Amino acid sequence: MAVVTKNNDNAWYLPGIFTGLVITMKHLLKNLFNKKQMITLNYPEEKHEYSPRFKGNHILTVKKDGAIRCTACMLCATNCPADCIKITASEHPDAQVEKFPIAYEIDMLRCVFCGFCEEACPVDAIRLGPEWQTPGLNGANFIYDINQLAYRPALKGGIQSVLDDQDRHKAGI
Amino acid sequence: MSPITLIKCTINGVELEVKQGKTIIEAMSENAQRIAHYCWHPGLSIAGVCRLCMVEIEGNPRVQIACNTVITEGMKINNTSAKVRDAVKWGLDFHLINHPLDCPVCDQAGECGLQDQYMEYGKYDPEMAERKQRKRKVVDLGPTIVLDSERCILCSRCVRFTSEITKTHELGIFSRGDHSEIGTHDGKPLDNKYSLNTVDICPVGALTSKDFRFKQRVWYLKDADTICNGCSTGCNTKVYFNKEGVFRVKPRVNMEVNGHWMCDEGRDTYKFVNKEVRLLKGQKFANGTWQAEMHAGAAVKDAHLALSQASGDSIAVVLTGQHTVEEYEAIVSTFNDKFKTKNVFHWVNNKESFESFDGLLLRGDKNPNTKGLLDVLAKHGISSQWKNLEEGLKSGKITHLVVFGPENLPVFPDLQQNLNIFATAKNLIYFTSAAIPQLKNHASSNQITLIPLKTYVEKDGTFVNFQGKAQSFKRATTIVSEALTGVEAAQLLAGSEIRIKQVTEKQLFTSAHERKDQVQLEHRKKNEFVFNRGRL
Repeated sequence: MAVVTKNNDNAWYLPGIFTGLVITMKHLLKNLFNKKQMITLNYPEEKHEYSPRFKGNHILTVKKDGAIRCTACMLCATNCPADCIKITASEHPDAQVEKFPIAYEIDMLRCVFCGFCEEACPVDAIRLGPEWQTPGLNGANFIYDINQLAYRPALKGGIQSVLDDQDRHKAGI
Repeated sequence: MSPITLIKCTINGVELEVKQGKTIIEAMSENAQRIAHYCWHPGLSIAGVCRLCMVEIEGNPRVQIACNTVITEGMKINNTSAKVRDAVKWGLDFHLINHPLDCPVCDQAGECGLQDQYMEYGKYDPEMAERKQRKRKVVDLGPTIVLDSERCILCSRCVRFTSEITKTHELGIFSRGDHSEIGTHDGKPLDNKYSLNTVDICPVGALTSKDFRFKQRVWYLKDADTICNGCSTGCNTKVYFNKEGVFRVKPRVNMEVNGHWMCDEGRDTYKFVNKEVRLLKGQKFANGTWQAEMHAGAAVKDAHLALSQASGDSIAVVLTGQHTVEEYEAIVSTFNDKFKTKNVFHWVNNKESFESFDGLLLRGDKNPNTKGLLDVLAKHGISSQWKNLEEGLKSGKITHLVVFGPENLPVFPDLQQNLNIFATAKNLIYFTSAAIPQLKNHASSNQITLIPLKTYVEKDGTFVNFQGKAQSFKRATTIVSEALTGVEAAQLLAGSEIRIKQVTEKQLFTSAHERKDQVQLEHRKKNEFVFNRGRL
């Protein structure tokens, strides 16, 4: 490491200021006469469309019967660098399912949207969805529970998981 | 008796001298050599069914199993060659033919023998095209255990345990071929006092404990060595805990005390340690009402003021066999020297069954340290009779009563009765780790002070077991940080400040402070800490 000292004793400031003003004026005139190519949007009336692969709010996928796919293996919670996932596991009455989460909470304000939970999940139970505009009135609104993660209105009854245990067993795996 | 003859052999290039009659796997495990195995357990007979402990012996064209081969003079053994690794790899692949892929829902994941060995020897590219054999899942074997037949690799450890150790013969292997599975006979569930040992020795997740099932993933838990305080046997145990509390207890090997096993009752000893059932704050009952909760230290200070004004004869102390020798020493010497009283009473629970013993581990004396208490009392020349206490309270001779109450309330059937006796004292100072709701309903003009104590996992100390064997243990975790140990309580009662043991940096990082199974840098380099997780 070294300390960089700039010898600015003889610097002229005025050319720099004018260069800046020219850039500003250039953009102003361009936007005035060419409104369609303007980058800024009139949010929230106009919204930017992100790619469908954008990593936004989490989705818990569901099985064919609409039940939650998650098996409460806690790999997402283990992998989470922000420590924002809390799962409480319980015994499922169906012996083939065996274990399922009775509580699954993600603290959206702690989440850094890294997608490690999605990568860790062995059963495609959690995904990062394209939604990103989620206002809330206070901190409690940002702790998403199972209902919000799996069955919020935007998901239209739940996103189906690609991995199904019954299919897997039928295939003999 | 003939002298023990030592014979020479070479294992993986290391020359060893072992006792005659040892098998290869015994010699290897005693000399910290790693060998894959499932069915062999040092506490059980040899079965030789898992075929995983393959070794190459010089002069022998084929690989042999190490668990059933006795070492002979000059034997040269190798289990690191490509031939052995190949044999283990294929053996493992055959174990996994019908094993379901349900590690995500399996409680054993993280300390599973299959996972460990697969990391080391796995084929990673299975060639088995046949459909998996489906078997029963979530089978209720008894009050404590759930079986998953699919996960079972038929090592028969649990079957041998019930036939050799408990001799109850509940478990057996039924059916043939790939239909074989572990099971119990109709109307005879796996219900004995040592049943949870089968969960410990199960190398896979086939047997899981109902109590621990789905509570935590094992990689969230830390473990620490301690001594069981369930009875006077003093089994060496490990407690598994995280910041939320203690979740399970497992045995640790000590051939002089408990061997490899512990009882199911001892596994419940974590239940009175956790926050939900603990006394968290000091509280006082005075002028007919329970007053606001106060800090434990403040409550003891008040008790000290009251005691220091009383005369020696009017003070009495009640001790149970549930505390450590260090605490008894501090308490008894404080009351002996500072308050000049010889009224130290021993609260004996279930007197009738005190001497009973079930032949394996369980003893009738449900206190870990009765012997330690009696030794300390004898050392200070105290021989008070319990009836003196009752008479003293009745006649009003004893006005200040200090009780160090039990941690393990279920083994004190006379709790309610004795609390009623204690509550007749003018000033009752009750130190307890457990919340005592029975005292809360109390209504009289007497004064009661409740002060939280620490439990056995939260303090250093020594228990003297029924044999007179003193076993020291270290603090595992802290659950109620405000609670006091008996030593601290005695110091505060005597009016002095709590002395914290000074430890210099040099003392802290000595080999005495290191655990035997501590993961060192070289282990990390070889990824060995994964291999030994949860091993018994």
